[in-house]
Amino acid sequence: MQSDNGYYGEFGGSYIPEILYSSQQQILNAYEEAKNDPAFIAELKQQWQEYSGRPTPLTFCKNLTEHFGGAQIYLKREDLNHSGAHKMNNVIGQGLLVKRMGKKRVIAETGAGQHGIATALVCARLGLECTIYMGAKDVKRQYPNVFWMEQLGATVVPVTEGSQTLRDALDEALRDWSSTHEDSHYLIGTTCGCAPFPEMVAFFQSVIGEEVKEQSKAQFGRYPDKLYACVGGGSNACGLFLPFVDDKDVEMVGVEAGGKGTKLGEHSIRLSHNLGTPGIAQGFASIFIQDDAGQLQETHSISAGLDYVGVSPIIAHLAKEGRINMTYAMDDEVVDACTLLLKNEGIIPALESSHALAGAFKDAPSMSKDTHIVINLSGRGDKDIFNVAKALQDPTFPDFLNDYLEDYEKDTLIKKTEKEA
Amino acid sequence: MSQLANYINAKRESKPILSMTHVVYGYPTVEESLTWMGTLLENGADFIEVQFPFSDPVADGPTIVAACHKALEQTLSVEQCLKDIGQLAKNYPESRLVLMSYLNPMYRYGLDKLVERCAEEGILGLILPDLPYEQAGGLRAACDKHGIDPVWLVTPVTPKDRMAFLASNAQGFLYCVARSGVTGNSNHEGEGAQTELQHYLASIKSDSSAPLGVGFGLRRREQIKELEGHADIAILGSALLDAYNQGGQETGIALFKELFSH
Ligand SMILES: Cc1ncc(COP(=O)(O)O)c(C=O)c1O
Repeated sequence: MQSDNGYYGEFGGSYIPEILYSSQQQILNAYEEAKNDPAFIAELKQQWQEYSGRPTPLTFCKNLTEHFGGAQIYLKREDLNHSGAHKMNNVIGQGLLVKRMGKKRVIAETGAGQHGIATALVCARLGLECTIYMGAKDVKRQYPNVFWMEQLGATVVPVTEGSQTLRDALDEALRDWSSTHEDSHYLIGTTCGCAPFPEMVAFFQSVIGEEVKEQSKAQFGRYPDKLYACVGGGSNACGLFLPFVDDKDVEMVGVEAGGKGTKLGEHSIRLSHNLGTPGIAQGFASIFIQDDAGQLQETHSISAGLDYVGVSPIIAHLAKEGRINMTYAMDDEVVDACTLLLKNEGIIPALESSHALAGAFKDAPSMSKDTHIVINLSGRGDKDIFNVAKALQDPTFPDFLNDYLEDYEKDTLIKKTEKEA
Repeated sequence: MSQLANYINAKRESKPILSMTHVVYGYPTVEESLTWMGTLLENGADFIEVQFPFSDPVADGPTIVAACHKALEQTLSVEQCLKDIGQLAKNYPESRLVLMSYLNPMYRYGLDKLVERCAEEGILGLILPDLPYEQAGGLRAACDKHGIDPVWLVTPVTPKDRMAFLASNAQGFLYCVARSGVTGNSNHEGEGAQTELQHYLASIKSDSSAPLGVGFGLRRREQIKELEGHADIAILGSALLDAYNQGGQETGIALFKELFSH
């Protein structure tokens, strides 16, 4: 969706320290040129296909459709991207842009670690140096992703300031960029930040919705009636929704993280029920969770990827215009939705994506049988194994962990004595 | 001409360079931060740059970030801050106070109201590092109306035409960032070319009639000395806070005197 000079209605814009002016202009120009360059677009499509396996399927969920007895349920399978999430679409695009600009190093922030992994993968492939900022709390919640990022050669920096989540990681990435702008590109992972990031990330993610347009026509003869996506920063939602924005018959629902409740600090609900208020921070104007004095506040979600204090200016604008309906799903509803998909369809969804499922499952039973809905399955759930096991109170998981630890230590000891011998 | 520029030009007749010391309002407590400002003013600081804390200060390095987060353990109000530092401005008419913050707390308070209240309290300058000139139309209009100076920043990597533009629009003084990066000792290694500061300042001077303030990374006497004749104000931020953290007001004042009492 084209911005008006970086703005979407009253949201968006570019609120960055003066030191970043030149770098930002460079990205603006490089992006404008690249998106109009057929060679760049061809390369992008080739990389999406060869490296990430696009197009991703549109999967009909026969069992769930019967289970609810209402709408025909389809999933857009972004979980089948290389790295297991839609984040790859954007990273491949910006990675090509980094090469085009001739920069040698990439900085990124990550919440769940999905964007961090995707960035580390692409940097390894393109031979770029890579530094990932991650809130110290998220490092703990998503350690397997940290492990792989490091194995891929990235430097992962845990951010111990503030709330120690995505928002602090973003602040720290901006600080790094302020020091290293001449050689480094800030590869933002969602449709937030200063212009042109929201527009650019939405552009790279829009491949999701473009594919759904073709696939829905081919599979059920028309566009879907209703689309569902979870909304953290907003990139998978923008990706699915924006290609349909002018098709007024297509309804859109964004699902935020309701966490444990609607009290401040227990959720990440910015748009639904007016829990957020207008603010200008982290480079852009949008709706933020903040106190009366304009201090950004703590957020919570069972899924690190939705645990963010702000939201895309594009989503904020479309929600305000009434084009997108915003709702939320609570932590426990999300785990239930995840389980339901597992058991009925044999698909393991990310907890982020399970929010979109939960939102859709609430509506599906009361919808007529000739309505078709598409839920964006933004990522796969393998990364959530520890958190889901805990949420389900799986009785044998702790035994596995104890055994693993014992074995790990034994192994370490053997290696050590071998070395000394 | 602006009230701040007049003040700077008049004071510069008797001083080779003026001092601007930075204090985080509310760190470690409101009371203590105000006493600390009072001590600096007693000791002849020409300016105090009072930072109203924001939860996400992206242009600041670890020292100032930590101070802001500590200060925010209390509930701070912009209105009370303006009253408190307005009182200091009245008590020390030989010095000036300018307000620095990030856009969001000021935006939530109301930019028009902010400028009006600054004028009432005798706070003549406003520094908002995440508000670029282009996005500041409303604020500039309010400042014009009330005789307050919005202070713009320029950096060693500001393109030439933009530099000329910002310099010619400078009011009060132009804040010349001495190097890439954030304030203070950073976690991040700046790799940008070590700009020749004097050359950089001379090129700004050719575009600007406003006085020049220089900040970011100043911590030694030689650095201040080298600025004399090239800039009007030396801005002392993280180094002062580091000294204060190390040994309280006494150590802070010792650094201030070492850098400026010559
Ligand atoms: C699988 C998955 N879905 C969704 C999100 C939320 O981000 P966005 O709202 O930008 O799509 C994340 C973020 O890390 C994610 O990993």
